[in-house]
Amino acid sequence: MRRSRFTSRSLRRPGLNRPSIFLGCIVLVFVCLFPFVWMSLSSIKVLNELYTIPPQWWPEHPTLANYHKVLFESRIPRYFLNSIIISVAATGLALVLAVFAANGFARFRFRGRSFWQACILVGQLLPTAAIIVPLFITLRVLGLVNTYWGLILVYMIITLPLSVWMLTSYFKAIPLELEEAAIIDGASRVGILFRITLPLSLPGIVAVLVYAFITTWNEFIFALCFATDSRVKTLPIGLAEFSTEFNTDWGAVMAASMVMTVPIALLFLVFQRHFVGGLTAGASKG
Amino acid sequence: MKSNTGLVFALPALIVLFMLIAYPVFYTGWLSVTNDQGQFTGLQNFSAVLRPRVTTQALWNTLWWVAGSIFFQVLLGVTAAILLNQNFMGRALVRSIALIPWVIPGIVAATTWAWMFHTEFGIINYMLTSTGALDEPVGWLTRSNTVMPAMIAINVWKLFPFVAIMVLAGLQTIPQELYEAARMDGASYWEEVRHVMLPQIRPVITAVTLLLVIWALNAITIIYAITRGGPANRTVITPIQIFRLAFENVEFNQAAALSVMFFAVVMLIVLAYIKAFASQPGEVQ
Repeated sequence: MRRSRFTSRSLRRPGLNRPSIFLGCIVLVFVCLFPFVWMSLSSIKVLNELYTIPPQWWPEHPTLANYHKVLFESRIPRYFLNSIIISVAATGLALVLAVFAANGFARFRFRGRSFWQACILVGQLLPTAAIIVPLFITLRVLGLVNTYWGLILVYMIITLPLSVWMLTSYFKAIPLELEEAAIIDGASRVGILFRITLPLSLPGIVAVLVYAFITTWNEFIFALCFATDSRVKTLPIGLAEFSTEFNTDWGAVMAASMVMTVPIALLFLVFQRHFVGGLTAGASKG
Repeated sequence: MKSNTGLVFALPALIVLFMLIAYPVFYTGWLSVTNDQGQFTGLQNFSAVLRPRVTTQALWNTLWWVAGSIFFQVLLGVTAAILLNQNFMGRALVRSIALIPWVIPGIVAATTWAWMFHTEFGIINYMLTSTGALDEPVGWLTRSNTVMPAMIAINVWKLFPFVAIMVLAGLQTIPQELYEAARMDGASYWEEVRHVMLPQIRPVITAVTLLLVIWALNAITIIYAITRGGPANRTVITPIQIFRLAFENVEFNQAAALSVMFFAVVMLIVLAYIKAFASQPGEVQ
C-alpha cells in the first residue's frame, strides 16, 4: 500500500496544491451534506425553535416529539411496510429475470442478439411521462391499480433494463474455461449458471440489488398515479402527503424524511464499493 | 455455442418488457387518435391539446429546465471529479459523502430544500441576508423569476454526484503515459486538465449527458412535490402537463396526444445526439 502510493507520486505530475484540494473538499462536503444536516437538526427541534427569525442553528431543547408523531400518530409506519414489500419483491423479480437474460446475452450467440440487447436499452431511455397514461390503463384493465402487484410489476420493468446491462458485463468477465470444464463434467446450462456464474459474479449481483432497491424505494411518480389507496401507498407518497396532512409541520416532515432516508443511506454506505464499481464497469464497457 | 438456448434465457425478460413498455407505447398512439368512446377522431386531440397557452409555456419551461440542469450538472460534476482524482488523505470518505445527494430519495431532497428555501424561516434567506448578500428575504418558491432557477439548483444538487462518479471512473482509466508525455512537454497542471483529461473523458461525458437529458425529462418529482407547476404555471414542464391532463383533468386521450408528441421529440433528440457523437473517433461503443 505504502509502496504503491510512493511510486505513483514519483511518477505523477505536480497536481493541485494542498490548500486548494483542502478548500475544494470543504466546499464539496458542505454542499453535499448541509441539506442532510439541516434536515436532521430540524427534526429534533421544538416548534418555536423551528419558527424563529433569525433561524436557530442548534436545538437548545432537542426533542423526539416529531419522531413520536411520525411513528405513532401517522400512517408512515404502514407506508414504510408497503415500501419494503414492494421494493423487495420488485428487486427480487427483476434480479431473477435479469440473471437469466444477462446469462443468455453474455454466453450465447443467437439470431438477433444485438437487436434484443438494444431493445432492452431503449427501455431505459423511454421518457416516463410518455408511458404513464397507457400503463395506467393497462393496469386498470388487469385490475392491478391500487394493488401491491401493480407497483411491483411497474418497478420491475423500470429497473430491469439497467440490471440486465450491468449483469451482462459482469458475466462476460468470467473466464469461459471454467464453464467449459463444468460442461465436460456433465453440468447442465442452468447448473453452470447457479454453481459457477452466480457465485463468481456476486459483486455484480450485489450492485444490481442495491441499484434496484434504491430506485424502487425512491420512486415517486408511478406510485403517485398507481397507488391512491392508503393500503398500498409507499413512503414517498406518504411524505408528500404529510406536508399537507399536518398543515406543513416542518419538524414532523423532517422527521419523516429522516425515517425514509436513513435505511437507504445505510444500505448504500455498506455496499457502496460494489455499487459504484458495478455502475462504472457497466458504463466504461458501455 | 450456437443455439437458441440464449434466446430462451432472455425470453422472460423480453416478454415482460414488451408487455409493459412496447404495448403501452403503441396503445398511446391509438389513444391519441380516438375519443373516450374509442371512436376514431383523427387529429382532434392534438389540436385540442396544442390550443391552450400553457402547452407552449410548458415547452419553453422544459427547455430551460433541461438545459439549465445539464449545463451545471456537467460543469460541477467534472470539477468535482477532477478534484477527487487527486491523491489525498480521506479521499474515499469525501467521495462517499459526495454521493449522498444522489442516493437520498428525490422527494426527501424536494421537501428538505423547500424548507431551506422557506421565505421567512428558511436557512438560505438567513445566510444570504445576514452576510449582506441580500437586503431582504426573497420568496424563492413564490416569485415567478426565481422559482425555476431554484428548481434547477435542486436538480443540479441531486444529480451532479452521478456525473462526478462516472467522470472519475473515466479519469482513472487514463494511461499514465499520457501524463508523462505531457510532463515531458512541460505542461502545467491546468494544461494537463485541458489537453489530457478533458479530451480523454469526452466519451464518458457524452454518454452521461444523454442519460442526464432523459433523467431531466423524467424528473417530475422535485417540481411536482414543491410547486405542482405553479406559481402561474412558471414551473410546468411538459411531463407535468401530461400528468395533470391525465390524472387531474382525466383527459386520457389529450394526455396521450401530448405524450405522442413528447415521445417523438425526445426520440428525435436522442437519435440526433447518438448520430452526432457516436460516429466520432474514440467513442466507447
